[in-house]
Amino acid sequence: MSAEIIASIADVLTDNIPLTPISQGAEAVVFTSPVHPYLPKNRTDGDDKLYILKYRPEKKYRHPVIDKTLTKHRTLGESRLLAKLRLIDGLNVPKLIGCDPYHGCIWLEFLGEDLPNGHGFSNLKNFLWMNASDPYSDLVRDTMINVGKQIGLMHWNDYCHGDLTTSNIVLVRAGEDWQPYLIDFGLGSISTLVEDKGVDLYVLERAIISTHSSFANRYNLWVLEGFKSVFESHGKAGLGKYKDLIRRFEEVRLRGRKRSMIG
Amino acid sequence: MVNLNGIPPRGKRNYYLAIGLEGSANKLGVGIIKHPVLEKHEDSDLSYECDVEILANIRDTYVTPPGEGFLPRDTARHHRNWVVRIIRKALTEAKIDDPTKIDVICFTRGPGMGAPLHCVVIAARTLSLMWDIPLVGVNHCVGHIEMGREITGAKNPVVLYVSGGNTQVIAYSEKRYRIFGETLDIAIGNCLDRFARTLKIPNAPSPGYNIEQLAKQCKNKEKLVVLPYTVKGMDLSMSGILQYIDTLAKDLFKKNLKNKLLFDSRTGEQLVTVEDLCYSLQENLFAMLVEITERAMAHVNSNQVLIVGGVGCNVRLQEMMAQMCKDRSNGQVHATDDRFCIDNGVMIAQAGLLEYRTGHFVKDLSETIVTQKFRTDEVYIAWRE
Repeated sequence: MSAEIIASIADVLTDNIPLTPISQGAEAVVFTSPVHPYLPKNRTDGDDKLYILKYRPEKKYRHPVIDKTLTKHRTLGESRLLAKLRLIDGLNVPKLIGCDPYHGCIWLEFLGEDLPNGHGFSNLKNFLWMNASDPYSDLVRDTMINVGKQIGLMHWNDYCHGDLTTSNIVLVRAGEDWQPYLIDFGLGSISTLVEDKGVDLYVLERAIISTHSSFANRYNLWVLEGFKSVFESHGKAGLGKYKDLIRRFEEVRLRGRKRSMIG
Repeated sequence: MVNLNGIPPRGKRNYYLAIGLEGSANKLGVGIIKHPVLEKHEDSDLSYECDVEILANIRDTYVTPPGEGFLPRDTARHHRNWVVRIIRKALTEAKIDDPTKIDVICFTRGPGMGAPLHCVVIAARTLSLMWDIPLVGVNHCVGHIEMGREITGAKNPVVLYVSGGNTQVIAYSEKRYRIFGETLDIAIGNCLDRFARTLKIPNAPSPGYNIEQLAKQCKNKEKLVVLPYTVKGMDLSMSGILQYIDTLAKDLFKKNLKNKLLFDSRTGEQLVTVEDLCYSLQENLFAMLVEITERAMAHVNSNQVLIVGGVGCNVRLQEMMAQMCKDRSNGQVHATDDRFCIDNGVMIAQAGLLEYRTGHFVKDLSETIVTQKFRTDEVYIAWRE
């Protein structure tokens, strides 16, 4: 990570907010901070809580006018999407704390924890690696079904994630079980098209196959099982939608993510 | 590991000779190249280090008058009229007296315009039968990539392929050039060409080049004409942008004072010039391209970019890409000049010869059927690890 980005975030924030960078994507840098952006410091809910800052730095290659409108548009769009998704009963997404669209900052609650024995952060990818010695345990099965349920719930409400990978699903401990949370809605959208949803499912399937290939078949079946259960709970209309979606998903799987250019 | 020396050169020579015929769009190109037989290629992944020697690189472009594009049948007629002369010229320049010494004839199998592709493949088949030389059909996109790799020495770059007919972000993985992002409708070069047609600026040497020159003359660089920005995940869409800027240009020429973007509503003073439009169009389109390239780089964890294709000659695009790579930790950008960026025969020869050296060539003339739609990821890349 270049020092310039860290210097540029310092211009936006006050000095008393310590930041630790945790990841850099193509578009944004993600930091953690122990400081809440606007609540007073001595709160009752414990002081060890962390917060996430997702920062979209300025892109010098593009014209400043384009850069400013894009940063504002995308930060605002992502925040709105998160706020709406949060209202859906049963869907797990991080809580939006604050948003500064002009500087490209989104504040979110921190989710997840470090897995035991140095298996890294508790996203689905690391979780599956951790359980590779007992890949078909009930714990893994329940988690994968829950992942499917979350995606189903999101799709049932006509939202699409756009970049569903195993590292964009964070697991939060709930007693013995793990509750999946969907994160990073940078490419998310509201869509009624079966195509977008089919591509979502396909991208996740590819992600599971490429990182956990030996157990991928069973994993994908479980995800689909959970996915189906959401649609089934809505009776005949739900099942009809499910069938349309799966038909398109199979089409997408045959041709790949891209449209076929033959003929 | 790959063995590139599986098939020995003809006549026990220590080098391969290949001729490439390209004619998928309005350029007709013939290139002749020479690969020395090197021991390091017997068991390695060095297909980007062939020490290629370019013996001839002849190209003839079918240029239409300002305001007109090239139609398939006219382009095909141009290719028919010139193909023999260009091949003769290439052979003379390469100082090849006996063409039967050539190892392989490579031709473009697609993608491209049907009629021009047909003309060139007929020439290739004729030569093959006449001189008794095997044929190799080459994917045009793969040709661009292999030539770019050979010229710049980029080992495993993310490739941005931008030309009149294609806009793709490509990365290599498991014997295929995989497409990460691409245009959902028209290609970037097509967008620029068609805007140039609206402006009625000359098509020589190329419409995109003339737009670039106009954009350089823009005096009002702070104030950008805002255009739609249509990146959709890893893909982009350009037809809406073209439609929008076309309307602006037409209003400008008609002096439509009702358009408040172009004319001051009270005084009727002109606020935007043609140069401003060209500048804004370039800035907007290239920002989209660089963004999807950056996405692909983050995805595959690469820090090299190779720009190929006709639009890749654009200095502004190269500049923006270099800036992006600099901001990502110590990245590099590789680009070539107009000899190799714009469609040419050499690149077809390069990709075809690599394929020939791994033992793949046409066994029967029925395999030489050209196709207008031929995706980059359909080709099995035998010469890479």
